[in-house]
Amino acid sequence: MTKLGMAINLTRCIGCQTCAHACKMQNNVPTGMRWNRVITEGCDVPDGALGEYPNLYRTYLPIACQHCENPACQKVCPTGATYKDDQGRVEVDYDKCIGCRMCMAACPYNARVFNWEDPVRDPDFNYGDKSVPVRQKGVVEKCTLCKERTDRGEDPMCVACCPTRARVFGDLDDPSSEISKHLAGKKPTQLLAEKGTEPQVYYYE
Amino acid sequence: MKTSNTFKITAAVLGVLTVAGVAAWIYQLMGGLGVTGMNNGTSWGLYITCFMFFVGLSAGGLIVASSASVFHVKEYKKVALPAVILSTVCICLAGMFVLIDLGGIQRIYQLLLSPNVMSPLFWDICVITLYLIINIVYLYFMVSKKADPRKVAIVSRFALPIAILVHSVTAWIFGLQIAREGWYSAIMAPIFVASALDSGLALLILALSGLKKAKVFDTDKKLIANLAGLLATCIAIDAFFVGCEVLTVAYPQAAGGAALLGEMFGGSTALFFWGEILIGLIIPFCILVFAKNRQKTGLVIISSACVVVGVFFKRVWLLFTSFIHPNIYGAPGISSGSTEAAHASGTSIWATVGAYAPTWVEIVVVVGVISLGALAFMLLARRFLAKAPKADVGDSAVDDRAATAAQTV
Repeated sequence: MTKLGMAINLTRCIGCQTCAHACKMQNNVPTGMRWNRVITEGCDVPDGALGEYPNLYRTYLPIACQHCENPACQKVCPTGATYKDDQGRVEVDYDKCIGCRMCMAACPYNARVFNWEDPVRDPDFNYGDKSVPVRQKGVVEKCTLCKERTDRGEDPMCVACCPTRARVFGDLDDPSSEISKHLAGKKPTQLLAEKGTEPQVYYYE
Repeated sequence: MKTSNTFKITAAVLGVLTVAGVAAWIYQLMGGLGVTGMNNGTSWGLYITCFMFFVGLSAGGLIVASSASVFHVKEYKKVALPAVILSTVCICLAGMFVLIDLGGIQRIYQLLLSPNVMSPLFWDICVITLYLIINIVYLYFMVSKKADPRKVAIVSRFALPIAILVHSVTAWIFGLQIAREGWYSAIMAPIFVASALDSGLALLILALSGLKKAKVFDTDKKLIANLAGLLATCIAIDAFFVGCEVLTVAYPQAAGGAALLGEMFGGSTALFFWGEILIGLIIPFCILVFAKNRQKTGLVIISSACVVVGVFFKRVWLLFTSFIHPNIYGAPGISSGSTEAAHASGTSIWATVGAYAPTWVEIVVVVGVISLGALAFMLLARRFLAKAPKADVGDSAVDDRAATAAQTV
């Protein structure tokens, strides 16, 4: 079985948000929404700092859908609009979504965003990849692991654009894949591992 | 029966409010759920609160009505008919709130085309539909000329477990979500059933008092006192469950639980938590625990109103406390987490926590739905209850006849 996932090197991440913007451009994500974001851990502002002056520090954490092996969002979806595809990705069928937002309540990572209104874009046109479907109001959306790109054999846009090459994408089930080699011998962690959702996004330092 | 002016005026006012609610809903359909105060941080709001609340309110009626047959509680048979009417109206309102809350109601047929049997929401929709059908069948057997009491007895044996189930499945929408600290608890289903019992019973007492005042349906004072005693017991059970839950969350002194209780004891939802404890549990219990007070209809009505308000407060803190602190601050879904941020640009969209306040659209819709329910109850009560012969207060022989008539006519 193919189990697509991602490994993120936190030591390399410089918090530049390039992945967040690359994702937004690629996936035609409207104003006020994002699928991917780099948070400054423990701070309520981007690029804040922890500790006491002059001994300050900060750590970055890029977050998007964790493409869980045991996805809480998929279980609760009443229409099966959220599904686990044959590549191991968690995807949303926008035509089936009835907008009940059960998945948003169920996702421990708050990875999902809702089209509360008709999507607004600035500039005012569909700037995303033309193969990415345009979502209408009343449906939920989130990181697709760049389904359209990865189906063509390309890396997700956040991986392709990361200036420090902090991200590696690939098949976690294939021991010869780049991601498996990357994670071998390291001590990768999963976000909120205690929830038992088994994320397919790994972090390591 | 002659239509009184009070009836006409009340019906007209409720009708106008219903039309306003429908207009607000149409406005919401056009603009999307963005016209509500909901956002990615707090993705459920007043509609889901009202949904939980009305599912609960619906219980009391049906449980009283069906236990009359199942456990052979003779006195309750007298109020079985108004109880079932109330239950039917409340479950319809609950269903309406779910539909109003949907962002893509035009795709609702997908529930039939590709149901996901793992989803508690899917099951809830099934159970609520079943419950509504049972209510209607029950009502039919009670008011139909051909129906006999045996059929009522059979339906009641199904009605009681389904009434319990409908609250449990509603509770599992929340109680099975490992993502939310305040919801993920095995006590969620019992707590929902207990709140359903006390709020539903309280609403039934209020409705019976209203019907008595409107001279539509007379209820014996002794029966009201009896129901009030049952209400006191249900309040005690509800308080016990709330206590168990709070203690279990508090005792480990873990960070997540502490943050949750911090909000409930002294934070954003404190008003509702303490409001429920005081108005919904302590005050009505202290009044109703004394048999002497239960004889005073005025005090019983005040206590019942307190319980209904208190349980509404409980739905509020139960739903919203778990939305305040996300597991991961500033996760992508929270980027537009506050109500202001949902419509903001620039750096204010980088909110890290959720916030919520209902907008005028939500309030008008909720008032409209409740008005529709009140109107429906008035009309149904007039249609089915007014036909039952009037009985003098205290005259048990005539009372019994009235009840039998209400059961079998």
